[in-house]
Amino acid sequence: MKNRALRPNATTILLYLLPALLLYSYIVTFPILGALRLSFFRWMGGARMEFDGLGNYATLLKDGIFWQSFLNNVTITLVCLVGQIGIAVVFALMLGSRLIRSKGFFRTTAFFPATLSAVVVGFVWTFIFDYRFGMMNTVLRLFGLDWLTKAWLDDPSTIVLFVSVPIVWQYIGFYMVIILSAVSSIDPGVLESAEIDGATSVQKAFRVTLPMIMDTLAVAVMLCISGNMKIFDSIYVMTNGGPGNSSMVVAMYVYKTSFIDSDYGYGGTVSIGILLLSLALILLSRRLIGGRRERGR
Amino acid sequence: MRRDIAARAPANSASRIRGAIAGILGNAVLGIFSLTCVFPIVWMFYSSLKTQTQFALSTLSLPVRPILDNYVAAIQSHMGLYLLNTLRNTAISVALIVLLSFVTGYFLSRFRFRGRNLLYAYFLIGMLIPIHALLVPMFIQLKTAGLLDSWYTLLLPYVGFGLPIGIVLAESYVGGIPRELEEAAAIDGSGFSRTLFTIIMPLAAPVLAAIAIIQSFAVWNEFPFALILITSDQWITAPVGLSTVFRSEHFTDYPGLMAGIMTTMVPVLIVYFLFSNRIMKGMTAGAVKG
Repeated sequence: MKNRALRPNATTILLYLLPALLLYSYIVTFPILGALRLSFFRWMGGARMEFDGLGNYATLLKDGIFWQSFLNNVTITLVCLVGQIGIAVVFALMLGSRLIRSKGFFRTTAFFPATLSAVVVGFVWTFIFDYRFGMMNTVLRLFGLDWLTKAWLDDPSTIVLFVSVPIVWQYIGFYMVIILSAVSSIDPGVLESAEIDGATSVQKAFRVTLPMIMDTLAVAVMLCISGNMKIFDSIYVMTNGGPGNSSMVVAMYVYKTSFIDSDYGYGGTVSIGILLLSLALILLSRRLIGGRRERGR
Repeated sequence: MRRDIAARAPANSASRIRGAIAGILGNAVLGIFSLTCVFPIVWMFYSSLKTQTQFALSTLSLPVRPILDNYVAAIQSHMGLYLLNTLRNTAISVALIVLLSFVTGYFLSRFRFRGRNLLYAYFLIGMLIPIHALLVPMFIQLKTAGLLDSWYTLLLPYVGFGLPIGIVLAESYVGGIPRELEEAAAIDGSGFSRTLFTIIMPLAAPVLAAIAIIQSFAVWNEFPFALILITSDQWITAPVGLSTVFRSEHFTDYPGLMAGIMTTMVPVLIVYFLFSNRIMKGMTAGAVKG
């Protein structure tokens, strides 16, 4: 009796694990298999569904828009790595200084955008970049810089940069809080002894603090890379992938092929493409960062 | 030692001035950044109290005579309904995610049954899958099963994709709860399930709260699944309603659009500024653990 209360039999264990296992399999595993099956067919959603072998994959390899979208994802990721994590590190180090006041207030306001939906963030920045009523142009006009005003989201050559701004803005505070919690777990004695040895605050930051938070930085970089394949909502609101396809990202492209053009077969192929590319990116970054971490030890 | 410090004092006055300047600059930079994080929302709020003409006349100024008409209009054009749908999805999904994550995490942590490591890895992989790769097959799968466009439709992907991080967090937390508690409970005659839910679950409250916080924001703000799996106006969620129906109705009416956006944000704003410390801790729990 007592024994069973501590160590339930196999049936009980199975019964408890089953709900999560079934739901998870139905929602995550089955659709992956579904996409794989779909990717070998030509299917526009009607009754006709023709097996096409690797035809869709051949199309995908030569699909300029798909690769352009992927390149945009990579560009946005690089901008985010520098913008989000770079700025977050600088702010976190600044907050370590005794000269900075109202740290709690700053942390709370800086983190705030991370709680907003990307849809709202997209709207906010659409308003900021708006030609007639936007805050950006209003402020420029206020300072007499009318010649700098423009329709910020209409220029295909700079659009990728401008759709990155909201994404960077939204998550600086998020990464800052993660880095801050790593910084605060450093033994204050270490920093004090560096100070007694005459280290300046810049030296303390680069020689003591940064090396000690490397593991957390690695996690932040991984999060940033894997998160950026998911960019969709804010671009849907801001540009819908336009002008033309200049701000298209892979998630937007799979949505367009399947749900606007109803090309489900090819949509499945694009899905598999996204899956493979994002797993490759994650593995690559893990290898790069993981390798350096081991050498560091 | 003391004389040493006194001798350095004159040289220190120059560095003290430098320190003061650095302090002012640092505070200014952080202050300006704080402002950029909050001001856009404040601007949207007071602009939503203007008429279209007032807004067009001067986009940055405060409203002369604040009006609530835009909010009345927002509620009338279904924003209230969309909010209610979002609220229901969030409440049910989060409750299910917390419960299933706890139970699954507990078993994975406490028992070394055959296939345990495989099962853990299987759940872990879910965190690496980009959800956008599953939009099309998910749509077709749910369509074939007749599960599209209903009040429960979105609960399926929300709970399914919420499980991996929840299970990982719960598993590692339960590992830190001493096993003696279950032994003591068993000696006192408590059955397995009773111990699980009335003794261990309350002890895991901190991690369950973190899971609930992460998932509340994730579900409340979720967009792509809600966009493709729901078609009838009756079940549309706030982010989708905002960017499709409501936006097309208020295309050039910026103050009206802003009122709609503000209504979807009010609950988030209140909850965030009341519990900001717990929320920051909860939302970054996955990363800090990892």
